[in-house]
This record gives sequence, structure tokens and C-alpha cells, in this order.
Amino acid sequence: MTDMRVTGAVRYSQDVEMEGMLHARLLRSPMAHARVVRVDASAVPEGVVVLLSEDVSDLGGYGPQIKDQEVLPQERVRYAGDVVAAVAAKTVEEAEEAAGLIDVEYEELPAVFDEVKATSERAPLVHETINISENDAAYFGIRPQQETNTCHLFRLRHGDLKAGFGEADVVVEETYHTAGATHVPMEPHAAVARWNGDRLEVTTGTQTPFNMRTDLAGLFGIDEEKVRIISPSMGGSFGAKTFVRTEAIAACLARKAGRPVKVVLRRDEMWMTLNRHPATVRVKIGARSDGTLVASETECWANTGAYADCGPGVAQKMGFAAPGPYRTANVRVDSRAVYTNLPPNGAFRGYGQMQSTWARERTMDLLADKLEMDPLELRMKNLLKDGDKYCTGETMHDVHFERLLQNAADAVGWSESRKNKGLCVMLKGMQTPSRAAIAVEAEDDGTYTVRCATTEMGQGAKMAMCMMAAELLDVEVEKVSCPDPDTDVVPYDTRTTSSRSTHMMGRALKVAVADLKDNGERGYGEVVDEGGLDPDTGQGVASSHWHQGAAAAEVEVDEETGRFRVVKLHAPIYAGRVINRPAAELQNEGSMIMGLGTALFESNEFAEGQITNANLSDYNVPAMDDMPIALSHELVEREGGEVQGLGETALPPVPPAIGNALYSRGIHVTELPISAESVLDAVDARDGRGDAWGKVGSEPISTDGRDDYAGESIFAFGPTREPPTPDNGSDRLSEQGLPGRVKTLLSSPFALLLLGTLGAGLLAIVVYCLLHRRGETEKKASSVPRLPRR
Amino acid sequence: MKVRFNVNGEAVEVEARPDEMLLDVLRRELDLMSVRQTCGVGVCGTCTALVDGEPFSTCIMLAPLAEGKKITTVEGLGGNHPVQEAFVAAEAFQCGYCTPGMILTAKRLLEEDPEPTEEKISNYMGGNLCRCGCYAKIEDAVSLAASASKATAPREGGA
Repeated sequence: MTDMRVTGAVRYSQDVEMEGMLHARLLRSPMAHARVVRVDASAVPEGVVVLLSEDVSDLGGYGPQIKDQEVLPQERVRYAGDVVAAVAAKTVEEAEEAAGLIDVEYEELPAVFDEVKATSERAPLVHETINISENDAAYFGIRPQQETNTCHLFRLRHGDLKAGFGEADVVVEETYHTAGATHVPMEPHAAVARWNGDRLEVTTGTQTPFNMRTDLAGLFGIDEEKVRIISPSMGGSFGAKTFVRTEAIAACLARKAGRPVKVVLRRDEMWMTLNRHPATVRVKIGARSDGTLVASETECWANTGAYADCGPGVAQKMGFAAPGPYRTANVRVDSRAVYTNLPPNGAFRGYGQMQSTWARERTMDLLADKLEMDPLELRMKNLLKDGDKYCTGETMHDVHFERLLQNAADAVGWSESRKNKGLCVMLKGMQTPSRAAIAVEAEDDGTYTVRCATTEMGQGAKMAMCMMAAELLDVEVEKVSCPDPDTDVVPYDTRTTSSRSTHMMGRALKVAVADLKDNGERGYGEVVDEGGLDPDTGQGVASSHWHQGAAAAEVEVDEETGRFRVVKLHAPIYAGRVINRPAAELQNEGSMIMGLGTALFESNEFAEGQITNANLSDYNVPAMDDMPIALSHELVEREGGEVQGLGETALPPVPPAIGNALYSRGIHVTELPISAESVLDAVDARDGRGDAWGKVGSEPISTDGRDDYAGESIFAFGPTREPPTPDNGSDRLSEQGLPGRVKTLLSSPFALLLLGTLGAGLLAIVVYCLLHRRGETEKKASSVPRLPRR
Repeated sequence: MKVRFNVNGEAVEVEARPDEMLLDVLRRELDLMSVRQTCGVGVCGTCTALVDGEPFSTCIMLAPLAEGKKITTVEGLGGNHPVQEAFVAAEAFQCGYCTPGMILTAKRLLEEDPEPTEEKISNYMGGNLCRCGCYAKIEDAVSLAASASKATAPREGGA
């Protein structure tokens, strides 16, 4: 039998049909922050099921880490795209038409979109109170800062930072920004819900069947056993299909309709459902003149949007791996998950690692430059070795950073010439603590069935399970099957995320097969990885094993236009022991290609909080003809090595390697994606061209919507990315950037006079810059920076 | 309205609205679920079907325009078409959602140019997106199919 993927026979959750099933459409808020004054559905024809806030007022909230979501907002909408009403009808078209007949009156409220500004005391509060969820995804000691927009503050303290910087001969500091991106799984979010009496059954492509079950049970106030989640294969996910997305609305519509209801999102709605965190990261590193790192300080602001989702977890991982795989004696990290009025941001392949790796590895090259050292040598001198302690206090084992980095450097001929080349090395944590359980059943016909909650999203998890089971059982792989996860049948598992499944389930499987050999019918295996960090000190066990990766890039740059292309990309990662080589290669290549998209063109664009490029024509993902001339990778194995997760390790190191390749020419870019315009600005800065106003032109202004509170756009002319000062133990940021300066300025009579006389002129310049910038943005949008064809 | 066309070698007459896209009709009326929607604007290639042998984005092709045409979907290739076999041999897929569109586009490419260069492959296949990022292996699969002599069959709408 040939593979179902080439015959088109795979059925995804969007293909599920049920008797009497209705189709749903959702009505979304166009406002980023507003009070819902009135919802009038009287024009909707009879026979169409309408779900309004009063239909769900009896229900609780949900959310995997912070319980901040309602099925429909009872009082206010918090982002442009928040669902205010839903309908279900016999056809999608009928539902679409009905949704359009619902009239909603809003009263607009001030909104905040920028993650740094959202931590200011003047920022509007997105949520009045922040309640931690009971879901086991909220396992790590979340530290909400009540009455602020910070829903989690993670701190890491190691050594004496002040003394460390005192020892340093050289200190470098820079602030970086990475844009929001979206997962773009080819299959959209799709779920079918139905009630069988008091039991809820949801068929949905999800990476988190058990977290889904907990959240839905909590929402309806029923026992978890009364909720059944079935997860068919997904047409891609990359973190998108985690936790509750459309399932709660489908379940509520089904409850009201008394029939099964299917929700399949339109493509544009995918951008309004879950994205990757835009982030601002400030890095300060100090070293002795011989290159020994002595101090490292990082502050991260992860923009989690209007609902936290797993943003606290993302911020924590972004934070604890931010110092990188180096032996730095004195380390301090503050990492925040910050509410804003953007669509929710959550898990995305790399889980926060890309953002902080970009910032740190770019800074390492700034440091090398200042030390007049080879960036490879600087890294090598400080890399963690086997038995070293990481800044979390845990001892590192099975460490391969030196080899990975050297292999990357060799692949681009680093020793011959460093021009146009860049390097990166990184580490990434795996979900810790976590638990996996699996059952293996011997069937009468001599075949075996593996029952586990590991979900298939294209990563080849099922095949890996079957292959590992076949090896352990000493049978042909064809004799083993692994059906879709069904929470009524499979044992509990934390979730299929953070590249943990082959590693964790693989170990549980060994136990299960041993058990099966004992009793002959059914074997059960369970493994538990203990660990976790103290969220206030960052000490403990961050990861039961670390994903290790490196990358090297080579670029060609046209300094006249700022256009550049990646001609070579190589990423070695540590794989331990490979189970299914082609699948592992595909995971690695896929991660690199997604990293290329992140580096070159993927960016969610907003205007007043509304997404403006929510389609695959304006939002580009890499195509086959965007590939670098030479894209290669390595799966580094070790004799007797244990299975390592490798689903995302090669994504985070790609953008910094490209950024550092540009820096080998003195082109210093701090933002992702790297546009031709930003390269051109960096060339001008390097060559001493461009002035203050020119710089302003290169700053993101209001057109991208993530700059300021509504009605205060004048402040956008300030150094919007000015590094916030360390907060001296306070969890709260002081006022940053121009607002504070304007205040000081206004208190000076001289300045008032100056402002008065120059007012008109300044206004003209402001208007000029705005227009100028708008023109640039439009140009950027139309001349989408796809790589030139080969 | 009624629309009549030939799909995978079989003459059919289906019910369709005049403003409806061929993609929806293929899925709903003919249960051809390999044709899938992703972008809805004709740029990603997952809804590709061959219309008189040429790859078309069926998500933006009005169903009545299929009248009298020969439509081929992956279901019509049977499962042992050289391009399908090459995709299996090269393991050129992960989630499989874009794979049918990739296979149909590759089939047409090889009819047009039985021995495409790597550059030709990546340009020709550039309109079919794979978010899993299987491009290197898809390129291998197309080269592999090219080298299989069976793949040089004369241009035909059907399988």
C-alpha cells in the first residue's frame, strides 16, 4: 500500500463530516480595545443558530496558563479579531451571510500594542486581574504582576552582576526587536464538536489533547472524563494547534444547536487566532580583554497579545536560555510576558528561543568586534563543556556545542575568509518537568497497537513510535500501528510540544514493551522527568536535556540597494540517536527554511491593531525558489547517545547567522525580519551617512501598529527602541523614551519658548517624516523582499 | 446549475452555484478530498488540479468554467504513477497536505520538460508552498521521477 499522503487519502479534522452537522462562522471585532455596547442579532433568519454572550454567561473562563479567556467576551473586546458572536447554519455560505447580519455597537477604549510601552504605568490595562489557570500547562510558578500588563515575570540571578561588569574590560549593549510571525499551517484550524447527552466529544487537530480536555471540562464545569478529544493528523501546526482555539466556540454552538457543529477558520482568521510573540530584547555583555565572558544581562519583553495563552511559558524559555551556551560567571535575566491589544501570541516552533538567540548572538559579534577577536574564537573560548554548570545551576551533560559550532564554521570555509559569513550557536530547553505514558497491546493476529497521546502534525511521530516499538518487539514495522490519539483510550501525556515526544515517549515505550513481554497482552509504560526552575531566581533544572544547535550563513549584499541574498546556510544540530533518518532530516531542513522566512520576510503588519497582511499574497512564506544556493545540515549523533528531540532546534540559529554575516561587512541590523531598507540604513550608519531625522525614518512608526497608545503618535518619533534602564529590583519599568523627556523639556521655560518658535517648522518636519515613512512602508509591502531566483 | 465535465477519466454532471469555485464542487459533489484549500487566493497551490492537463488553482476557478474540461486530481493518478512513487521514494512530504498539488504540478513539469534542471524545478514548483519545508526532498523527488523513463509519458489530461 502506498503512502496515503501521495494519494491524497489523509483525512484531516477539516474533512470530518457528521450527520446533521452545522457549519459555523465567527463575528470578530474590528476594534483593538472596546466596550461592547450592544449586539443585535434580530436580522438573522430563523433556523440559524446564534451564539451571543448571554448564551455563555453561565460558563467559566479558560486558558492554559492564565485563565483569561471567555468563549465570548462578556464586557469588552481586547483585540481586533476577538470573537463577539458566532452562528451555525446548514452551509458555510448561509452562516457567513448570517454573521454579517449581526450588528454590534462598540465604544472604543485606549489600546496599547508595543510590549515595552505596555509595561509603562500609563498603559491601559488589558486585564484588570490576572488569575493563574488550574491547567497543568501552568506548572512552573507563574508570577503575574497584578494591576500591570505583565502576566509573568521570570527572573534569573546567578553570581554578582555588578561585580561582573566591574571586572569587564569591554562592555557591549544593544536592544533588538523581532516581529510577530504566523505559523501558516497549510490546513487551517478546524474542529467538530458534538454532545452525546452530557458528554462532549471534540474532533480537532491539536498538539495538546489532554490540556484541551482539562480546559473544556473546566469551562463547562464537568468532569474531565466527560470530555473526549480525538486528534486526527494535522496539516501542519508548528505550535499553532495547541490548547483551546476554536473548540470552545464549537462546543457552545453544538450545545445550543443540539447538533454537531464544525468550525473551520478562513485563512485571514488564522492571523487573528494565534501568532508568534513579537519581542524586544536588550542584551548587555561584559568580557575581559582576553575574551572571557564575565557578565551577561538580558531583559525580554514578550508581547503575548490580548490573552496570555502559553505566553508566560514562552517568556520563561526565552529568558532562561537567553544567556546562551556560555560559562558566564555573573548572569541576570528578567523576562516578561506582556499583555497588549494585539491578537494572542503563543507557542511557535522555537518557543521564544529565536527572539533571545537573535539578540544574544548578534551581541556576541559586537563584542568580538570590540575585542578585535575572531567571533568563532570568542565563542569557543566561552562555550559550555561537559560537566560545566549552566547559569541555572544545573550540570550540563552530553554537551556538543564546540563540535556543532566548528562544523558550522567549516561548512562556510571560515578559516579561509570571514567576510560575508556569520555564525551562531544556541541551546534550547525541553518541556521540564513532564510526564509521558504509553500502552502497547498485542492483537490476536500477531500485530501490535501502540496507544499514546502523541499527535501527528507531519513530524513523523507515529512512524517513529511504530519504528521504535517494532525494534523493541523485534517485529516488522508493518506489524505495529499507532492510531490517532483519543483521550478516552490513550494514557495521559503532557503534550506533543517542545520536541519532547520521541525522547519521552520513546523511553516510556521501552517500559511498556518490557511490561508487555511480562504479561503477554498489554504493556504500560510511564516516565516522569522531574525538574523546573524557581521563577524568582531561575535556579533549578530548566531542562532534563538540552537541544543544541549551531548555524553558519554566507550572504551576498548589494550595498547600493540594500538587497541581499543568502547563498549558503548550514545548520548542525545534536541528534543523539536518530530513529527515522528521512523524517529527522525533514524536520531539520524545515526548521532552517522557517528560520530563513523569519530572517528575510515574515512579519505580521498591523494598523491600529488590525492585521493588514492576513493573506498569503501579502505575507510571504518561503517557496522552493527562495532556497539559498546551498542549504545543508547535519544530525550529529553519538555512539550510545539517547534520542534527542529535533523538531525545532535548527530554526533559532538561522536568523542570527544571517545577521552576523551582514555584520562581517559592518552592517549592523537589530530587527527581524531584515529588510533591504534596514540593510541600506545600516550601510549608511556604518559609513557615517544619515542624520538624526534619517534615523527616525528607519524606526518603526505608526504604520505597523505596534508603536504606541492610540492618540499619542507624536511619541513615536522618539527612540522607540531605546533600551529601558535596569529597574534596580523594581518589577516595574520607569517611563521610557521621549514621553519622559517631553515632560522634562516642558518644565523648562527655555524649551517652551524654543518649542513655540519652532512649532510650525517641527510640525512640517513631522508631517514630512510621516509621509516619507508611509511611502517607505508601502514600498516595502509591494516590493516584497523575496530572495531573487537562482 | 448543472456543470458537466470529465474528472479522472469519468464524465460527470454536478450541481453547482454559478458563483462557486471548482474546489468546493470537487470536494462536496465528488468527494475528491485531495484538493484542499489553504490560501483561498490562488497563490499556494494546495488546491491544484490539472485542467486539460494544465495546473490550475481551483480555489479561484469558477466551477462553471470547468464545463467540458478534463479535470485530473491525485485520486485519478491511482497511486503508482511515477511521480507518486518518486515522492514516496524520496520521502518528499511531512504532513501531506500540500503533496497532491505538488505531485500534479510536478507531473505537468515533466510532461513539458522531461529532464528539468534543478533551477527549472525550483522555479516551476515555486507556486506550490510547503510550510513543512520539504523543498530539498521535493526537488529530489522530481529529479527522481524525471530519471524514471515512465515519467516521460505523452501529455494527457487524464491519468
